[in-house]
Amino acid sequence: MIRVIAVNELRRRIRDRSMVITCIVAPLVLAGILGFAFGGGSAGGTVRIGVTGATPTLISAAERAVQPPHTVVIVPVRQARVLKREVADGTLGGGVILTGHHTSLPDLLIPIVAPGATHSPGFEVVDRADALIGQEWSESLAAALASRLYAGHVQAGSTADLATISLTIGSHDLGNGGRTVLNYFAPSIAVIFLFIGSGLGMRSLMLERAAGTLVRMAAAPVRPLSIVLGKMLAILITGLTSIFVVWGVTTFVFGADWGDPLGVFVMCVGASLAMCGLGVFLTSLARNEREAFGVALIVGLFLSLLGGNLLPPGSLPQFLQVLSLGTPNGWSLVGFGRLSLLGDPARSVVGPFLALCAIAAVTAGLAWPRVRRMVRP
Amino acid sequence: MCRGLRKHFGSRAAVDDVSFSVAAGECYGLLGPNGAGKTTTISMVCGLLDPDEGTVTIDGAPGGSLEAKAAVGYVPQDLALYPDLTARENLEFFGQLYGLSGKGLATRISETLALVGLSDRGGDRIGSYSGGMKRRANIAAGLLHQPRLLILDEPTVGVDPQSRNAILGTVGSLGIAVLYTTHYMEEAAKLCQRIGIIDDGRFIAEGTPHGLIDQHGGQDRVRITFGPAASEVMTKASRQLNGVREVRPIEGGLELTTDHGPGVLPNVVRAAGQLGVELSGVEVVVPDLEGVFLSLTGKELRD
Repeated sequence: MIRVIAVNELRRRIRDRSMVITCIVAPLVLAGILGFAFGGGSAGGTVRIGVTGATPTLISAAERAVQPPHTVVIVPVRQARVLKREVADGTLGGGVILTGHHTSLPDLLIPIVAPGATHSPGFEVVDRADALIGQEWSESLAAALASRLYAGHVQAGSTADLATISLTIGSHDLGNGGRTVLNYFAPSIAVIFLFIGSGLGMRSLMLERAAGTLVRMAAAPVRPLSIVLGKMLAILITGLTSIFVVWGVTTFVFGADWGDPLGVFVMCVGASLAMCGLGVFLTSLARNEREAFGVALIVGLFLSLLGGNLLPPGSLPQFLQVLSLGTPNGWSLVGFGRLSLLGDPARSVVGPFLALCAIAAVTAGLAWPRVRRMVRP
Repeated sequence: MCRGLRKHFGSRAAVDDVSFSVAAGECYGLLGPNGAGKTTTISMVCGLLDPDEGTVTIDGAPGGSLEAKAAVGYVPQDLALYPDLTARENLEFFGQLYGLSGKGLATRISETLALVGLSDRGGDRIGSYSGGMKRRANIAAGLLHQPRLLILDEPTVGVDPQSRNAILGTVGSLGIAVLYTTHYMEEAAKLCQRIGIIDDGRFIAEGTPHGLIDQHGGQDRVRITFGPAASEVMTKASRQLNGVREVRPIEGGLELTTDHGPGVLPNVVRAAGQLGVELSGVEVVVPDLEGVFLSLTGKELRD
């Protein structure tokens, strides 16, 4: 019976085109915007990264290490002042200034192990806050330059210097990381979208109540739980489809790497389950579908902010970072982050997946008494 | 079938000690004005509401159980179909909820659409239907699984006369137990073998339409109108006619109370002719369920 109700829900959503919009059009647009904004394969044209203070040989070596796409061009700039001005006016997407003070091996390691660190002796990464691609490539270039310089300092086969290196990097020194921003923002934004879809999806219960079809369903030999689970299954399928579209497009069109596919699949299911539970819970609190709509949007925004979808959790104060783990968004990002940013295997997301399942169970359980009354008009 | 049903919403008693039964093949009418408690009563019969007191039994199963629900076909007052889906798709979904599937379901859908006269429009979206067609499709969804008891909640409200006749014709031809709520007395009188009258949540009378009228409807009345000069002479003559029990003045004429209005009328006309009184109007008023309701409650059925 659950399947029958879910199929009917999906059929209606296809018929009124809401499924096409939420599962295909909107995710495609979302993936497109994310890809063009962060993926670099866009109509944005060529990104020029300037370098000052490096020899042509060093620049060539670094460029081979970075392997930039044809849309990223590394250009030498004579003066640091010129480089900064051109980054400021947008002529350059970003730049790296070698100040010549990188005298110790530990200093050379900073751009490599902590790209974007605010203090890297001998290196100055010049970027603009609104030019993330330039920032990413500048940091990558700095890391490559540092690695070439480092290699020049250490003799082949020598490990003596390595043994003496002691390097401490505080979390406050870290920037955006060396991996592409798209890998972080694609699942992050997709989770926001997933939540909105789920929260709004459960409004269907209220709309059917107002339309009278819920009364007819309730009069049939169907248990109220089957009706609610049928609706949730439809929302789960809708949510999964939408996030899979974002995953596929950002991966195959824009080259994003979400990590181990099995892990990503598990996280998509976990996030969708949690969002379904939360959607049912929010619907149970609302008195009508308009209220449900408003609550879903407001809570969605709140959870997105707190959970780290809009602001990376690392940029939040410690207590907010802890609170973010009380949200499905936070756990989703933990899982997706392990897969995409750290490259961890699928088994690493078992914990976040179970946490998301627990959130789904608790929220749906809290909602059930009220939703049961809603299903029996 | 239901005994001692009571339902309160807050301090207000929506249904207060209602009991009745519907036999197989019988059409039972629940007659009462808007807000009398008809919909609350059938909601309890359908298992949509739990009664505060009393019991419902359907085909031996307790009301609200899955067995009881499977035996009932419910046609709600408002259209309860998906406008974006076709009639066939709607029936397919609701049929599946009652356990129908495959060829059996397809056959029943065709049969039911034919029964309500929508065979040629089954592939059209409900949203494109006229009001009357929507009502008929609404009834089809209740009939699809061949219920033992069909419950129709005011199925003809807001329907044009043609569709209304079609609906009444369909319901009248079913041959299954039907619980029919309405505030249209003529529908109840035409369709139902027995009628229960409900007002302010209380059951105030039950019986066949004729039995109720005989018992509570009062007598026939003959109304005649004529010029003001003839009032005295016509009053005197009317009182002397056989079968006339009471004569009282009304505006422009008289009202005669009698056991059989159609039988008295020719005598009244003949008497007026013999007296040289020219009648400007004659009317025979036969008691009906409206009169029954008026007699029992002191108010009009459509108040």
